[in-house]
Amino acid sequence: MKNPGRRAHLSTFLRSFLIQASWNNRTMIGGGFAFAMLPVLRRLHRGDPEGFREALQRHSEHFNAHPYMADLALGAACRMEEEERDPEEIRRFKLAVRGPLGSLGDALIWVGWRPATVLAALVLALAGAPPGATVFFFLVLYNLGHLALRAWGFRVGLEWGSQVGNPLRTVALPKQADRFAAVGVFLLGGLVGLALGRSWAGDSWPLLLLGVTGGIWGFWLGSLVGQRVWRFTFWGISGAIGLIFLVGWFG
Amino acid sequence: MAIVLYRVDERLIHGQVVVGWGSQLRPDRFLVVDTALATSEWEQELFTLGVPERIGVEFMAPGPAREEISGWRESELRSVLLTRDLSTMLELARGRTLEGERVNLGGLHLRKGREEVLPYLFLDESDKVTLEELAKEGVEISAQDLPGSPKVTLESLLG
Repeated sequence: MKNPGRRAHLSTFLRSFLIQASWNNRTMIGGGFAFAMLPVLRRLHRGDPEGFREALQRHSEHFNAHPYMADLALGAACRMEEEERDPEEIRRFKLAVRGPLGSLGDALIWVGWRPATVLAALVLALAGAPPGATVFFFLVLYNLGHLALRAWGFRVGLEWGSQVGNPLRTVALPKQADRFAAVGVFLLGGLVGLALGRSWAGDSWPLLLLGVTGGIWGFWLGSLVGQRVWRFTFWGISGAIGLIFLVGWFG
Repeated sequence: MAIVLYRVDERLIHGQVVVGWGSQLRPDRFLVVDTALATSEWEQELFTLGVPERIGVEFMAPGPAREEISGWRESELRSVLLTRDLSTMLELARGRTLEGERVNLGGLHLRKGREEVLPYLFLDESDKVTLEELAKEGVEISAQDLPGSPKVTLESLLG
């Protein structure tokens, strides 16, 4: 197995943050993928410009995945190139993982992690934190998860290559995604209870507590009853919160 | 009505299918008909990574799949049948096996010789011939990437 060295790997990892920079309808993140692979490919094909060009061209083909999960494919593709696997096999590997890495990432980040961290920050804001601190809290919390996921993905990709399905299955991402979504529901319920409770309950702590508990229970039930109900409630209540804030603002 | 969706999509099982169509149609299983995949375990392993536990996945070559189709259609299990190219779907439809069924075109991407018909649909001349043959087998064809997006009929695709 060839080894392009730590620096090349680090460089590829850092380049992966730009993976969406040349997003387009035809190759999607294909261009970004090739751009990120460049340092590794260059070292693997030292003194072989023709092989280098071919490899780069292959990796510029259509590819898509969740941008954070793409690091996992990137790591695995590097590993397979280092093992000098058949290019057709590498292409098939990328075809097979793009779908799963897309849907896993969507569920984990866009549906799970991002709403949960936004809501956590909103709870902080309602509890009286200044706006700057709220935003800072969100950015730090969200990106801790973001960076950890990218770094983990790239590492297991490099380590497992085409076998990367194994560690992926072990960590059971869909289950983690459900967990984040559940935390989101919990926080949203609490938030709604808090927002509504503050206007009814005034200074009465027990009433406020009742509002928060009621909110959490209501949303919890909603999330159990079904996705459609949940989605409807989510937008309905989000709209209601927005309205309350607007009324508070202008009233 | 037990095969709730026939879809041609190069990506096979992915977010649009699992989340987009999945939440609308609530399938019990995905039936992936593909010659190369049917015998490749490592690829099957990867393709099923993003599938929720409650949904089963079967991989099958077109030959055996043709034998199973009537069983799948009568089954109580709701299936989504996927192929990654038009010719495999045509192979299934030969002899009017899929007469009266609707086939959904969900994603064929840019390749040499292909031209853009829709942002998610690129076709070359041989693709168009295959589509016409598929229509001759009594299949109703339309393009639609997600349940909420507009449905484009075969006439306007080829027009």
